[in-house]
Amino acid sequence: MNTSLKTGHSLLTNMRQAKALTVINFKSFPQRFVASMVSILSIACVAAVILSVLAMTEGMMKTLQRTGLDNTVLVMRAGATSELQSVMFPVEVNILANNQKIIKNNEGVAQVSAEMFVNAEVAYISNVGGIKQATTTVSLALRGTSNATQKFRPNFRLVEGDMFATGVRQLIIGQAVARKMPALRVGKVITLGGAQWKISGIFSDGNSVFESELWADIGMVQSDYRRGNTIQSIRLALKDINDLPTLEKEWQEDPRLNIRVQTEKKFFADQASSLTRLIRWLGFPIAIVMALGAMVAALNTMYAAIASRSKEIATHKAIGFSPLAISTSILCEALLIAFVGGLLGILPLYFAFDGWTAATQNASNLSQMMFNFDITFLLIIKTMSLALFIGLLGGLLPAIKAMRLPVTEALRD
Amino acid sequence: MKNNHNITLNNINKSYQKGNNTVVVHDNFNLTIESGEFVALMGPSGLGKSTLLHLMGGLDQPTQGEVIIGTQRIDNLKQAQLTQWRAENIGFVFQSHHLLPVLSAQGNVELPLALTPLNKKQRQEHASYALELVGMSERANHYPKELSGGQEQRVAIARAIVSDPHILLCDEPTGNLDRKTADEILALLTQLNRDFGKTIVMVTHDKKAADYASRVINLETYIFEPKNIEVGERL
Ligand SMILES: Nc1ncnc2c1ncn2[C@@H]1O[C@H](COP(=O)(O)OP(=O)(O)OP(=O)(O)O)[C@@H](O)[C@H]1O
Ligand SMILES: [Mg+2]
Repeated sequence: MNTSLKTGHSLLTNMRQAKALTVINFKSFPQRFVASMVSILSIACVAAVILSVLAMTEGMMKTLQRTGLDNTVLVMRAGATSELQSVMFPVEVNILANNQKIIKNNEGVAQVSAEMFVNAEVAYISNVGGIKQATTTVSLALRGTSNATQKFRPNFRLVEGDMFATGVRQLIIGQAVARKMPALRVGKVITLGGAQWKISGIFSDGNSVFESELWADIGMVQSDYRRGNTIQSIRLALKDINDLPTLEKEWQEDPRLNIRVQTEKKFFADQASSLTRLIRWLGFPIAIVMALGAMVAALNTMYAAIASRSKEIATHKAIGFSPLAISTSILCEALLIAFVGGLLGILPLYFAFDGWTAATQNASNLSQMMFNFDITFLLIIKTMSLALFIGLLGGLLPAIKAMRLPVTEALRD
Repeated sequence: MKNNHNITLNNINKSYQKGNNTVVVHDNFNLTIESGEFVALMGPSGLGKSTLLHLMGGLDQPTQGEVIIGTQRIDNLKQAQLTQWRAENIGFVFQSHHLLPVLSAQGNVELPLALTPLNKKQRQEHASYALELVGMSERANHYPKELSGGQEQRVAIARAIVSDPHILLCDEPTGNLDRKTADEILALLTQLNRDFGKTIVMVTHDKKAADYASRVINLETYIFEPKNIEVGERL
């Protein structure tokens, strides 16, 4: 007992002290686990909501970003914000296709795809083999395509069955649709707008938004939906995408044309941002209100924790622990609560829903779009940071209170 | 004087403001306790014994007057300086031991050493030595709830002396103990005073406890002399 034990109050010694106290707090934390449950659960809820919103928007963005080629130009009627709203005529297709800047094959035929796009009410019997047969009706995107269409979809593959035959009511369905509605199988007959269609195959397209669609021969779609020979959108392959501005100017000045020109990539990127904006507008206000609630819960828990430990805190001060170290250890406990809450919100979501397929209902005229919940590591980090931030805010005032706690009153027993 | 750790209270005023009323606990109070003394502070409840102890240990600050320990005036130190000063110079023992239930006896005694630059091994050694001094080596790995009241108080004393402070401030350290256990604790304090030169100030209501001290101050009969008068003589 003859060493001189000098201490210092640098930041480092403060952190040493805080560490010692934090270890003690963590040791006794299991005893307070139940009392901390309200905070833990409310932080877990916030984390779950935030992560859902983020994972949903992330999945949508990815799906839509995978859609569209760089050199593909999408042409619609001027003023149309989606393919559904657009109407175009064959004569316009010819004018556009004749342009020098469009890729032509050896026979001089331009690489152009004229497409129909309608919102189809699809009815089908969902419980095959059941005693009572139930009919399910969903609204799905039906695209009328031609042979040229596939040139614009390099990732297109038939994964099951055959291509639809032209001139009959046959269609192929995207694999996202097939996954979401398992009753839709190859060979199944479904009802579209009163007529019977047979599913001839299932296709994939690199997880793009097209996998949420039904594809059929454009002629059949035109006649079934009484569109004459009008179409809705035109896709053109450009030799050089840098020509787009001059091309657009040229077409805008052509009195025979009244069109809107953009790259297919940009079209889907815009769709993506308007969709994700919608989800954020719905999701984040809920999350913010819940976050405030969680913060108050954390605040309460920590106030209670320091009230029940006022003697302990006073003893630490009497021993010579710095007020800063004491409040830091309180903050660390609040962070621990937030961390446990964050884990409780994130982990179930991760194990249950990562990769889970969800669908939008006609949002932004995209008809139904299927996309995967995409819980990435970055999203988990973001969500956890938010949970910790809530804990930090909730712990701040109690930490300051602990710092100021009068020692003498607490020690009078 | 080689090791001057005299405790000097000069013209202390300690009062509390309660609305319009001012509660005066101490007024113009003077006291000097010299290094190496074992002083018992006695007197009826509410007379300000604990308050004096808190002032000496820098847990509380006087409304007026000076508190000087050795050559260091502490009543005007900032909180951060005060806690550091306390860590180096003062050991507290309270009526209730205030041990942490989640730490073993060893862990509790090691706690104040977190304030020192000692490494883990050194901390363990110091704590073991302190536990040995108070006769608790065998119980080092026991948790407070596994110890008797007297044993808990021994561990609390080990915690107070582990970082080798010059001054021990004890507020009714035997208040919760039976006669026999109290005597053991008091013998231990006497030993720390005699063999290790610790200055001890002990508040007690127990006349027998006070008999262990080298000087007894009864606050009820203590004459509060103004400045320059020799104070704190044996009553
Ligand atoms: N925060 C406070 N506000 C107002 N008065 C206080 C405060 N703290 C202490 N007092 C008063 O100071 C006086 C001295 O208190 P103190 O605890 O020092 O007495 P004591 O001699 O230790 O008593 P006991 O023997 O009961 O422990 C008491 O009258 C008490 O009411
Ligand atoms: Mg008292």
